[in-house]
Amino acid sequence: MSTLAERQAEIMASLLDEDRPLPANLGRRHEAGLQIYRNNYRTALVEALRSTFERTERLVGEASFARAAAHHLITTPPSSWTLDLAGCGFADTCADLFPHDREVAELAWLEWAMHLSFVARDSSPTNLAGFAQATAEFGPADWEGLVLRFAPGIDLRTVHHDLKALWSSLNEGEGEADIVPLDTPATVIVWREAERPVFLAVTQAEGDALASMIAGASYGQACAAMAEALGQEQAVETAGAMLGRWLGEGLVEGLA
Amino acid sequence: MSVIAPFHGFGLALRRTHYTDFLETQVPVDFVEVISENYMVEGGKPLRILEETRARHPVILHGVSMSVGSAQGLDEDYLERLAALAQRIDPLWVSDHLCWTRTSAHNSHDLLPLPLTAEALDVVCANIDRAQEKLGRAMLFENPSSYLTFPEDEMSEWAFLSEMARRTGCYLLLDVNNVYVSAQNHGFSASEYFAGLPLDRVRQIHLAGHTPATGERSLVIDTHDREVCDEVWDLFREVAALTGPVATMIERDDAIPPLSELLDELGRARNIAVNAEQARAA
Repeated sequence: MSTLAERQAEIMASLLDEDRPLPANLGRRHEAGLQIYRNNYRTALVEALRSTFERTERLVGEASFARAAAHHLITTPPSSWTLDLAGCGFADTCADLFPHDREVAELAWLEWAMHLSFVARDSSPTNLAGFAQATAEFGPADWEGLVLRFAPGIDLRTVHHDLKALWSSLNEGEGEADIVPLDTPATVIVWREAERPVFLAVTQAEGDALASMIAGASYGQACAAMAEALGQEQAVETAGAMLGRWLGEGLVEGLA
Repeated sequence: MSVIAPFHGFGLALRRTHYTDFLETQVPVDFVEVISENYMVEGGKPLRILEETRARHPVILHGVSMSVGSAQGLDEDYLERLAALAQRIDPLWVSDHLCWTRTSAHNSHDLLPLPLTAEALDVVCANIDRAQEKLGRAMLFENPSSYLTFPEDEMSEWAFLSEMARRTGCYLLLDVNNVYVSAQNHGFSASEYFAGLPLDRVRQIHLAGHTPATGERSLVIDTHDREVCDEVWDLFREVAALTGPVATMIERDDAIPPLSELLDELGRARNIAVNAEQARAA
């Protein structure tokens, strides 16, 4: 390793670990300067997390959030060139730190997914009329093999709380957080409508079908999996409504 | 390397709180500077805002994450995205800082100081060569504020910058506040700093505020969160007399005030520059 590389490795280690002794050849004269860089590092990253996870901070309170952010910086120091990705993995950090309050990690995931979708590639969704035209000549085999392209930045996750109620209750200036456990887990889908990230809760069966189709499964394969989970009759009913909802909400970019 | 022609004008940094002002009113500036990394994204509102701003004003792309001093070289993904943004926006120029921000494993997201050694100079020049080659254009590099010097330093910062510009053909972005902050912190003369620079390579000047030293803290901190102080205005007067007309802007990064306050400061900069030019011409 070159002298410069060694020096940079030492300085970086000193930023990441505030208890670390001063790097070689640096004396007391340098300590005050290094402390400013340490403070800049910590402040910039905590501020970035606060800006991305506003509602999570309101949910857990400023002091708890500050501790969680500091913990995240220690366990997951930033590696990307963009500060915007400093929150990568913060939902997992919240899951570790708030094991008995699962809504914290669920909300942190939601804010992170919306943060990413905000700057996802621009695209125009296929609407119902466009889709009808594209599939007008479809026979049964075509429907079976239908593969879709979804909105850039789309993400989804199983949740155990009503995130819509929680989200609204955490608007700035609102009162107490509305934490409502769900009777059965649901799937929350995040995507971007024009320039605005949005989300929607659907059944887990629909969420599983969407997840498999985002991963490249055909409509036929997704329906077969759904039939296994729900039974044939309910699956047929659900599959049609589900596809209509995805198109109506603007989740589908086009046919693959 | 390509030549960057002088651009004589006065501008402001585009910050989120002023988006509406810049998109819906006629802001009296000659250019707008944006933080490159905020727009090195796939799509969405930020890029739309930037493109609309570009339709109204010349734009400068000012980066904070190139890490031109990194011993491990530049991040090729970063360069790729910056080149794509430059192609999309067609900026007046692209700038970054003389500093390092990352190792191969981690990123500090702060402008960290370099040891001023021949080895570091070689690294910086090689990285600038790579960046300018990828972008297909010469860049500007800004003098940083610093709170730390190294026992292994072999030259002054102005000597480092001069040699860097000579070897790579890059240009300089002179942040007068940063010179003031570092001069206070390390005990050198700002006038000596200016005299040691190749001022014909300066294409842009930044003016900003800082947090003064206190009884408990001897170091001045470059916070860019307040108005330009009298000492920095004096230094700007001094350097404007030496450089002649150079693109000049007020840079506020935090505690962003209403746009009118920044335009008032910019007006003061304009007056000083005009007076300096009249004195030169006399």
